[in-house]
Amino acid sequence: MKVLTSTDLGKKFKSTKSVPAFPQADGRALANIWSLEPGENGKDLWAGVEPAALFRSEDGGNSWEMIAGISNHKHAPDWHPGAGGLCLHTIVRDGNRIHLGISTGGHYLSEDGGQTFSAANTGVGAGFVPNPYPEFGQCVHKIARHPSAPGRLYMQNHGGWPDRPGIGVLRSDDYGHTWESIAEGLPSDFGFPIVVHPHDPDTIYVVPLEPMTRTCPEGKPAVWRSTNGGHKWKKLTKGLPKKESYFTVLRDGMTVDEFDIPAVYFGTTTGQLWMGHDGGDEWSCLFDSLPPINCVKVAIV
Amino acid sequence: MTITVQIPSSLRQECGGAAQLEVPATTVQEALKELQRTQPGLYHCVCDETGRLRKHMNLFVNESLLNRRDGPQTKLRSGDTLFIMTAVSGG
Repeated sequence: MKVLTSTDLGKKFKSTKSVPAFPQADGRALANIWSLEPGENGKDLWAGVEPAALFRSEDGGNSWEMIAGISNHKHAPDWHPGAGGLCLHTIVRDGNRIHLGISTGGHYLSEDGGQTFSAANTGVGAGFVPNPYPEFGQCVHKIARHPSAPGRLYMQNHGGWPDRPGIGVLRSDDYGHTWESIAEGLPSDFGFPIVVHPHDPDTIYVVPLEPMTRTCPEGKPAVWRSTNGGHKWKKLTKGLPKKESYFTVLRDGMTVDEFDIPAVYFGTTTGQLWMGHDGGDEWSCLFDSLPPINCVKVAIV
Repeated sequence: MTITVQIPSSLRQECGGAAQLEVPATTVQEALKELQRTQPGLYHCVCDETGRLRKHMNLFVNESLLNRRDGPQTKLRSGDTLFIMTAVSGG
């Protein structure tokens, strides 16, 4: 496992001097790095890993410290791996407030800069345990937030449970302490990514999938956009295939750029990279034969 | 003594649409054997031909997740609920 950095827009990469590693006495071994989030000063770097744990580097990735407050949380022995593994896949930071998404652990919140973390899953459901609203253990797929509305968070949770409808797409207006469903109007509340518009905290994007196949309903790809925080949704399909296209978009497979009227991008596990111009109003395929796409990031240069 | 077996919606078609079944059993293993006898389609979805719990299924007694190896030996009390749940398999 390596962490590579580039300072020339990807022309050359250099390995950092070390990678996140569990202390020898810990017994756990790094299986994967799921999330890398930069901090404010260009040197601060946070890594969410599998098995679920959080690491921090203050020197651009050359040395790493395990954050015990979540990595050794009292709940950790009771977390279970999802199909992708037991991963800490989402890190959302806002000053001393840190939101983490763990599959399957749920949403954990620190309000003291990462010293301590609490499960914050009120309203976050689970369809695979008897208690529909457990304290923790939910299969959170992604959490998103807009910097200008830090108290508002959006979550794509593991939905698609006929007996527990609506638990898959959620919103919090109190810094993630409590959550409520915003899934009404979507064809499925199962999906992986959830993305917020760069300049409008009310505008969000999801890609609903059939829960059994994890592909677009009826083989007709669509991104769904809400411009009022999830109260209503609009299906965006112009330019996307009309039939027989069973796309799967993974949790980090969709993003937006920073233009005033941004473009939306998503990649599929079948190797297509799509660009949704004018906020997703019209789509074009940028690449159609890439390897499976796990993560899409965009930069304006 | 009877216990309640809670059926996930995805498997109800295997037992005539029932959301729950009452079965006589004093252990989880006995409950599974009773399902094998009375609801073979449902049982086949939960356990493989060797009797082992399929990897995409979990069993809970009330709210306690059963260990996959020793779980079937778990003793049941009257009024217990055996939950058959789809194991989480997210992304």
